[in-house]
Amino acid sequence: MQKNYWTRRNVMAQMGAALGGSLFAGQALAQAPRAGAPAVDPKFLIVMCCSGGASLVDSFMAVPESTSANAATVNAWPDRLVQKIDGSPFTAIDYSARAIGAIPIPFTGNQSNFVKKHHADMMTVTMTGTSVNHGVAEYRSINGNAAYKGRTLQEAVATHYGAGRVIPNVHLINGVSFTDRGTDASIPSNAFGERVAAPNLWPLSLDGYKGIKDAPSRDLFEKAREFRNSRLDPNSEFAKTFASSARLDEWERLRGDPLKGVEGEDLISKLMFFPDSTEMPLSQFGLQASQLSQKVVNAFPKYKTDPLEAQAAMAFLLLRYGISVTVTFGPDLNGLLKDGASIGFSGAGGGGLKDGDLINTPVGFDFSHNDVRSAQSMMWTRALSVTDRFITLLKSEEYKDGQSYWDRSMIYFATEFGRTRNRPANAMNFGAGHDLNNGFLIISPLVNGNTVQGGVDTKTTLTYGFDPATGRPDPNRTMTEQHVYAGIVQALGVPTPGVTLPDMKSMRKGMA
Amino acid sequence: MPLRKSLTVAASLAVLLTTAGAGFAADTPSADPRVKFKDGERFVRDLADGLSLPRDQVCVELGKYDCNDKAFRIVLGGVEPYDMRILDPLENASLAAPIAMDRVALHACTSRVMKDIETPASAVLFKAPAGAAAARAPNKAWMDTTTITIYDRILRRPATNAEKAQMAEFYKTVSAGRSDPVAAIEKDWVTLGCFAVASSLENTFY
Repeated sequence: MQKNYWTRRNVMAQMGAALGGSLFAGQALAQAPRAGAPAVDPKFLIVMCCSGGASLVDSFMAVPESTSANAATVNAWPDRLVQKIDGSPFTAIDYSARAIGAIPIPFTGNQSNFVKKHHADMMTVTMTGTSVNHGVAEYRSINGNAAYKGRTLQEAVATHYGAGRVIPNVHLINGVSFTDRGTDASIPSNAFGERVAAPNLWPLSLDGYKGIKDAPSRDLFEKAREFRNSRLDPNSEFAKTFASSARLDEWERLRGDPLKGVEGEDLISKLMFFPDSTEMPLSQFGLQASQLSQKVVNAFPKYKTDPLEAQAAMAFLLLRYGISVTVTFGPDLNGLLKDGASIGFSGAGGGGLKDGDLINTPVGFDFSHNDVRSAQSMMWTRALSVTDRFITLLKSEEYKDGQSYWDRSMIYFATEFGRTRNRPANAMNFGAGHDLNNGFLIISPLVNGNTVQGGVDTKTTLTYGFDPATGRPDPNRTMTEQHVYAGIVQALGVPTPGVTLPDMKSMRKGMA
Repeated sequence: MPLRKSLTVAASLAVLLTTAGAGFAADTPSADPRVKFKDGERFVRDLADGLSLPRDQVCVELGKYDCNDKAFRIVLGGVEPYDMRILDPLENASLAAPIAMDRVALHACTSRVMKDIETPASAVLFKAPAGAAAARAPNKAWMDTTTITIYDRILRRPATNAEKAQMAEFYKTVSAGRSDPVAAIEKDWVTLGCFAVASSLENTFY
């Protein structure tokens, strides 16, 4: 993938290139659960990682200035920018500007289109966390601050629904703690997340033979593996000397049934979402694109240059082909420019960056340190756009008996924390730090949709909690990571034996 | 006196060495095995060196993507701090790791044998029997020599007699039921023998 990352390293490299040429030249079918799957129909958890603090008061729980007694000095939004969505309790911010902080890149933010389309399945849940450290807070957002034996949400779902799935838990985003391993070593080893660093090339690592020119036949290749596993290795001095090594044990285990399971699914074909092309000359090597390649490529046309779209494409295929029950992806922390966009300078053939040229802010939602409103508007718009297309894909595929994949799915917008609420008097552009107080967006037909669980104090723009039984807002209460974790696993039907979690009835569909 | 002292020391050393030698007896398992995974780059470089292949030709996916630098870098225990922010190797072996390792080994061995066929004068592994012997099933001496070369090139040690016998036995597996020319069977045997050794535990860990 050729990505137009806008990192310091990348910009320096471009500057170097500019000295010798153009200045800042921009770089730039299917099956439901497979045979042998368990009788229990799974529910799917999609974790959309919003690194940097995706703030509810800059989106679906915004406070209009006219409603706040302290509007000038807290993060209350101008009334004209706060969209009230008919038939829903949510707000949406449609904010566009000519710059993001000190960076002169115009952008157009739009949250209202998404809310209008999906409010029936949307639920916001307020929460006050326990850490403003990125890594710690990310981890607690997916393990409920060790709510259930140290299992992450993904691990809990993979453990309950993953039997019979070859890679039940896949992590497609890198460099964040939303994908850290939980601490419960008792779960099946394949319930821990499998890392996918490069979605376009990863399918090649799921078959040891296909696509290698001039190799002996597959049958002989398998016999060579058998020879190695049953004769050559067991009889070697090395294996005998280190016979009690857990590392060797694990390697030999992986070379057994897990390997056969993965290769038996022909994932090198099913998951190859890149079409046959000059960039990925599949047919030259006897390979082929996934039957659903065209469909996902149409949905995520920037798959070659935008890591988020490539992740989403792979995530959909993993669910659709019955490979996984939980997938984790999201915008990363690298600044990313549209393919072909260049910073440019007047007189050097450039005209500056235009609206739409910035795909991802540097440090994602955390660019709020520089300009909270622009960063939140830009990044929410980005996350919602990909989510909308992902939901559309899930809705378009039947799981069984007339149910779509979406009918059994939940998208959890995991984030670390909120942002501080104070602002210089009436400032439109200002930076915001990390604040424990925030909440989460959850979208699913399985939750109590079209509801705000909790509320916002208009004087401070801080969120407050709710009664877990009725969902009634309660200004004297705050919710914890454990409440949110409990609400998610309960809505997904994941039991938590041995641990008594709060009954979050108000978060479940038809319960409150 | 100095002579007697020297003899005493020499005798003591001899006893110690004999005793120590007993500690390294074959098949004695380590009580504290500390085995490390040979990450992708080390694995590829070792194969490049052992099989006399240029580093950038050991394993290239789709003719474009270096297996370790691009395709399987993280899967095979590498890091990529700049774009992906992966600062540490995966703590636990990934499900895909043994499969990717097999691919790298198969790529490397296939490349080596194909080069040997293209330029027999500078062949490294596959030195096909010449003359009348070329049409016959390979004899034990040829198989032993080839096995010794594979072990020496990849594991940097001589093959034991048992290992030579195992490889000769594997030839029967490769040739079973085939009516192909002997040269084709020999080529497959060398390629897959190389693959088996290259992807063995001994070559994957250290």
